Amino acid sequence: MFPFDRLIRMMDEWTAAHGRQDVFAQIGNGTYEPKHMKWTRKLDQLDFAKTVEDSAMIVAHAGMGSVIMADQYGKPIVLLPRIKDQGEHTTDHQLATAAWLRGKPGIHVADTDADLAPTIEVASTTARDTSGKWAASADPEFLKKIRQYVIDSLG
Amino acid sequence: MPALDGMDVFYVSLDKSLAADVPGHDFYTIRDVSRRDRFGFIIVAFQLLKILFKERPKLVITTGSAPALIALLLSKYLFGSKTIWIDSIANAEKLSSSGKKAGKIADLWLTQWPQLSGPGGPQHWGAVL
Repeated sequence: MFPFDRLIRMMDEWTAAHGRQDVFAQIGNGTYEPKHMKWTRKLDQLDFAKTVEDSAMIVAHAGMGSVIMADQYGKPIVLLPRIKDQGEHTTDHQLATAAWLRGKPGIHVADTDADLAPTIEVASTTARDTSGKWAASADPEFLKKIRQYVIDSLG
Repeated sequence: MPALDGMDVFYVSLDKSLAADVPGHDFYTIRDVSRRDRFGFIIVAFQLLKILFKERPKLVITTGSAPALIALLLSKYLFGSKTIWIDSIANAEKLSSSGKKAGKIADLWLTQWPQLSGPGGPQHWGAVL
């Protein structure tokens, strides 16, 4: 996991400013260690799922793993895309991911550092519409074509 | 993996807890590696070789990243496997760098984004999501 110290530091400050005791962070290989949040380096997929399930809201990079997990448990998610220039990823593809995800049910995008706190505020006061889970499963037509290709190529 | 129901399938992942999602199948973990980490590439290549010698897959299917590209290379050229690359949904505006390289190797090269498909590029059959 690439570090994302910018987000972790901002969330640590947010936690202190709001006097919250219930914020938990996964910080990866970051060098900044939170002072006000509980934290760990890396959760495995099961613990990650459990943590998301027990949460009221997720704040994350614009990574599909987090987005799909939040969708699965119907939790609102706030995304801050990683930026290549800040050494947060090898490309700027998260900007495109965030642009695509913007406005989908329960997804809130913070474009800048200054947007993060207000976006969390909006996310916490907007009920997530869980009537239609959009990331729950693959396109059946796609699966059918893959299956046919596999069968044909195994001959 | 509903597309592979009834077939003899094994899984390779970076996360051992995902084994719980595919009960009854052989499951292996390898370490993650990014293109900045040369030593990591060697370790992952050895981990994959061990798996491939044991399983000898007829076909390898992946949604990408650097370790998957190594798997594609090894399985195709050392074991003669058919290979399918489905570029990650996270790459909406351009293919990943692994995804570009995979185009030269994979027997079937797919993107989950229609706007990234076309002549000289991957095909678009739909999205995994």
